[in-house]
Parts: sequence; structure tokens; C-alpha cells
Amino acid sequence: MAARPPFSSLRRQPAVVGLLAVLLLLLLSATGQKALQAVAAEPVPIRVLMPAPLADAVAGPVARFNASGSGVAVEVIRGPLDTETISDLAISSLLLGEAPFDLLLVDVSWLPKYVAAGWFVPLERWFGPEVLEAMEPGARLGNGLGEHLWRMPLTGDTGLLYWRTDLMPRPPRDTSELVAISRDLQRHGRVRWGYLWQGRQYEGLSCVMVEMLQGFGARWWDDATARTQLDSPQAVAAAAWLDGLLRDGVSPRAVANYAENDALQSFAAGEAAFLRNWPYAWREIEKGDGPVKGKVGVTAMVGAPGEQGGGTLGTWGLSLIKGSPHPEEAVAVIRWLTGPVVQRQLALEQGYAPTWSALYDDPDLQRRAPMLAVQRQALQHPQLRPPTPAYAQLSDLLARQVNGMLTGQGGPEQTMGTAQRQSLQVLRSLAGPPGSGPADP
Amino acid sequence: MSAPTVSLLLMLPALLLLASVFLYPLLRYGWLSLQASSVLTGLVPVPNGGANWGRLLDDARFWTDAGQTLRFALCSVSLELLGGLALALLLHRPLRGRGPLRALTLLPWALPTTVMALGWRWILNDPHGPINAAIRSLGGSSYGFLSTPATTWFFVVLADVWKTMPFVALLLLAGLQTIPVDLEEALRLEGASRLQILRRLTLPLLVPYLTLALLFRLAQALGVFDLIQVLTGGGPAGSTESLALYAYLNAMRFLDFGYASTVMLATFLLLLVSLGGGWLLLRRHGQGHATERAA
Repeated sequence: MAARPPFSSLRRQPAVVGLLAVLLLLLLSATGQKALQAVAAEPVPIRVLMPAPLADAVAGPVARFNASGSGVAVEVIRGPLDTETISDLAISSLLLGEAPFDLLLVDVSWLPKYVAAGWFVPLERWFGPEVLEAMEPGARLGNGLGEHLWRMPLTGDTGLLYWRTDLMPRPPRDTSELVAISRDLQRHGRVRWGYLWQGRQYEGLSCVMVEMLQGFGARWWDDATARTQLDSPQAVAAAAWLDGLLRDGVSPRAVANYAENDALQSFAAGEAAFLRNWPYAWREIEKGDGPVKGKVGVTAMVGAPGEQGGGTLGTWGLSLIKGSPHPEEAVAVIRWLTGPVVQRQLALEQGYAPTWSALYDDPDLQRRAPMLAVQRQALQHPQLRPPTPAYAQLSDLLARQVNGMLTGQGGPEQTMGTAQRQSLQVLRSLAGPPGSGPADP
Repeated sequence: MSAPTVSLLLMLPALLLLASVFLYPLLRYGWLSLQASSVLTGLVPVPNGGANWGRLLDDARFWTDAGQTLRFALCSVSLELLGGLALALLLHRPLRGRGPLRALTLLPWALPTTVMALGWRWILNDPHGPINAAIRSLGGSSYGFLSTPATTWFFVVLADVWKTMPFVALLLLAGLQTIPVDLEEALRLEGASRLQILRRLTLPLLVPYLTLALLFRLAQALGVFDLIQVLTGGGPAGSTESLALYAYLNAMRFLDFGYASTVMLATFLLLLVSLGGGWLLLRRHGQGHATERAA
């Protein structure tokens, strides 16, 4: 077939081409000036992907920010509700390159993975070390990796222990007291169950494990060797304590299928003396007309006698996506969204823990957000989940093993031994021979 | 040029195409399965001395999923073959309105799996779905069909059978139409019963079509992904997770492309063995004369 040069039919009609060119020029000169002006006045769009509950929580402040004429139009994309699902959504976009958002609200447990994949821009150019120093100790954790700052925290949530003020004069100081109080109350028929927590095979169970491992003096992850230590005697003791709760009837067998909300519903119905949950649960209990309204206290998570307990850190923060066309404007949005104005509103309306120390010192906020003192106390000794990019896998397999133990498929020693063996296998298969991976992603 | 050379030349473009879309990815999986390619290596492949395969052997989740996938495939494909055969025999008979009826039975097959799975999820919703609404209007309390492993598994199989039975029926219907009518008439004149005709004539002549349907469906069922991802997400407690879903999780959630490739390749080997088994089984049953005649 003979090749035909493109536009060959046009070449034979110079008049048509000329006419087109003149029309084009006219159009450009007439509208060009106006178009340029319009572009300059058009606010720069900054898109933020957030899980739906947080997107709703910041909707009011975002609307006010957009109306303030700062030259930036923040568009919050309401992601799915579930933490895992929203991570899947973000990853599918990021793997393809060109993400359709400039900022991502990042759960503390995702950060090492996303950083290792090279999807974020370090923020220390805009936020110096003094910024984090104005925050509570726990809120500073989980934002930096290596030499860089990758995330500005928006919330300072940790796992908390809820207790019934009508059933006991003060909260338990350690795990032994928790069990003793529970059994006493159960024996006297004052309450059906002692302690409700999250035992379903999912990330929530891993958060419980982080707290218990810490509370029994064990470590999940050793930073120095970059290995797990799940088969230590202390770790087995932590698992055995959880197993014993079900065995002795302090917790119902159904705990093995409980997520946050299942445990909360049962506790709010007055069925138990203690509950492990996040700060949001307090609002849920107080806003209804349930049997335990006004009878619930909150305290930091307890550990074994003589050990320092601590709640799992479950903070959210904003990270800047590499390839964002407007990094400066995006950082302005980070600065404002994580600033005291928004955090104050989140604390008042949704019960999220602030990160700024100044907000905890604010007498007005102290009066209107009764959880503030406990939240601050919990932020002094919070527990970070293993800060390794392989966390998702390690967590997945530990939750699977521990849930197996809770449903009677093996004792604590065997469970933790298997979890340790599988963790090391995963790490070996992930990393290749020692020293082969890049030192700094 | 000799005839074989010419035919080879003529086949070359097709062979190249096949190699680029089948052979290359397979080789790439094989290579990646011997590498660490994960967040710990900055997504750069680094040889890890077969650690992925060692991990696979000790990975209880992989073997559980393999068992679940096989069980799903065997159950749903056998039901589809039986149901599809019955449907094909029915549609082959001279009925009034047979044309529209045939078109109607194809409808589930024409629906995109995702849409159909969402539909089922809604039907089974606890407590708002129509089934639970009916149960409650009869005075019962609603039931979590998708939160108990046994019922969830049952409905996953049901949804798959419902969707793909028409496809099997269509293939078998085409087969039925190739059977000469005079053969059947001759048998009937000899006094054969309907059951005898089915067993001695129809089924043996259908064997090539049954084999085709079996191979197609087995391959699809062993790689099941979209139906389960949308209907159950692999739950409850991993009881409906398939191998394809597990591979997807490893790649997309864990960003572990080395191990995801290992799982994919192992699944492929499993598929090869199962398909070979299915094919041999039907070949032996079909016996020489029937296959030769129809083929």
C-alpha cells in the first residue's frame, strides 16, 4: 500500500488552511488574555484522600478554608470507611504513577511501607524539628523514618482502657487487678463479662498484641537486628494471658470474632466491666441513652504487675505525594489542616486526641473535652507497631496465629513459636540475602 | 519450500503473539519467584536463593487457600456440568417459544461478574436484603448469611453456578445439535428407552463438548477472583479466600511481588495438574469410538 502523507488533502487546498490559521489566531488573541487572567485567579486545587469518617470530621473547617480566599481550593476525597480498604485504594493509584490526589491521610501503620516504596516527599524542608517539639511525646512518634520527616500528625489517638465507675472505686493498675476485679464482679453477678477486646483476625488484634507484648515486657520487633522476637518467654506469657481470659470466662468466647464495634456495642449495653478501644468509643457511649451512660471512666492501658503498660499508637497524619504539581500549596494545606484550629474542633466534636501540647494546656478545651487528661497521659508511653515496611505481612500472620489460639487451635507457646518462625521466613523472602537491599530508600 | 516449512511460517505470527502474552509473563513469574522484590528491597528484584519457595511450603495460608480453591472449583464445576446438561437437553427439545427461552437463560452469563456479585451481596445482606426481609416478615430474625463460613461458601458456589451454567448449557446445546436425528430414531425403533438413548448415544457423542466445557470452567474456577473479591472479600475469617485473591493481597497490600509471583506460579502448576487430570478422566470415559466419530 502506498503511504499517504498526513494532511495530504489539506495541502491541496491552501485556502482552507489559511482560513483555519486566521481563525485560530483570532481566537487566541481575543480570548488569550482573558484566559490567562482567569487561570491566575482560579484557586489551585489540592486533593486530599481521607477515610470517610475523618473526611466528614474536617468538612466544616475545609469549607471555611476554601472560603477564606487563600488561593487554594481543598477538595477532600471521601475514601472507604475501612483502614485496609483505603490503603488498597491508595496503593492501586500510587502503583500506576500519577495519583489523583496531592495529599494522603496516612495511618501510622502504613508509613514505613509507603516510604520504602518511594511515594512520599520528605517534609523537613517546610517543618523544622521545633514543630514536632511542640507536640506530646507520643504524637511525635511514627512520623519520621531515617533522617526524614514524612508525615505531619493530625490526631494523637492511642488504645485506651474503659472501665465502669459504678462497679469499682478506681481503675485497675495492672493486668492481675483487671482479672481479679472482673472475677469478683462476675462471681457476685454484678456483670456478665469482665473484659471485652478485639480478637478477630484483623489489624485490631495486632494492636491488642502490641499492647500486651509491651505490657509483659516483651518486644515484637527489635530495631537493632531488624528481626521479630515473638517466641521470647515474655511474649508467650502475653499470649497466654489473653488465652486465659477466654479460658477462665473473664472474656466471652465471642471475643475471637469481635472487632472494635462489636466490643463497644456489648460494653455499651452494660454487659462488661472493662473495654479496650480507641478514644472515639467514649463519644459513642455518652451520646446515646444506654445503660452505662455517665458510668464510664477511661484510663491508659495497663501492663503486667511491675511493667509499664501502654496503648497502641493509632494516629493519622498527612503526607505529601511525590509528583504533586503544587507542593507549596499542598504543604500550606497540611500546615492548616494539622494546625490547632482544626485539631481543637476535632477534639470537641469527635473526641480525637490533639497532637499539640498547647491544646492540652488550654483550660477551655480541658473543660469541654473531659477525655483530654487521659489522652495526654496515654500519649506519654504509647506503643508503636513495628516500624518496618514488612509490617502488613507480619501483622497479618500474627493476627492469624493468635486468632487460631483464641479459637482453640493451639497453645500460646506453639502459637508464638509458629508466628516467630513464619515471621523470619517472610523477612528472609522479602529482603534477599543480608546487605543486598538499599540502605536508605 | 516444503509444506511443513510453509505451515510453520504461516503459524509464526500467531505463535509469536501467544509467546508474548503467555510465555513471557510465565517466564517473568518464574524469574520473579526467585527474587526478593518488595518494600524491603525498594521494589527492586534481588535474588534470594529460593526463599520464596521455602516460605510457600511452610505457608499454612497458601495450602488452606489451595484446598479451598480446589473444593470450590470441583463443586461448582460439577454442578455446572450437571445443571448445564439438563438445561441443554431441555432447550434442545422442540418447545414453544424456544428462541426467547434460550436467550433468556443466557442472561446471567452476559452480566459482568462484579455487578452480579454486588447483586448477590445485596440479596444476602443482613438485615436489609430481601431474603432477610422475607424471614422477618414471617416472624423470624434475620440471619448473617455472609458471616458464617458454611453458608458463605454455599452462596459463593451458588452464585458461580447460577452465572456460568448457561455457558455450559450453550456449549452442550451446540454439541447436541451435531448428533444426527436418524441415529436417535433408529435406536427408538429398536425399542430403546429415553434413558438408554441418553446413556448409549447422547452422552458418548457429547464427550468432546463436555471435555471442552470442563476444561474452560475448571481453568476459570481455579483462578476465581472477582466473584469472591466482591461477594465476600475472602471472608469470613479467610474461609472463602482463593489462591488468586491471596496472590493479589501479596502484590497489592503487601507490595511483595516476589512472593506474589511464587503464589501465582504455584497456582498455575496446580491448574496444569488439575486440567490434565480432568482431561484424562473424560478421555478414558469417552472411549475411542465416540470421540473419533464426533471429532
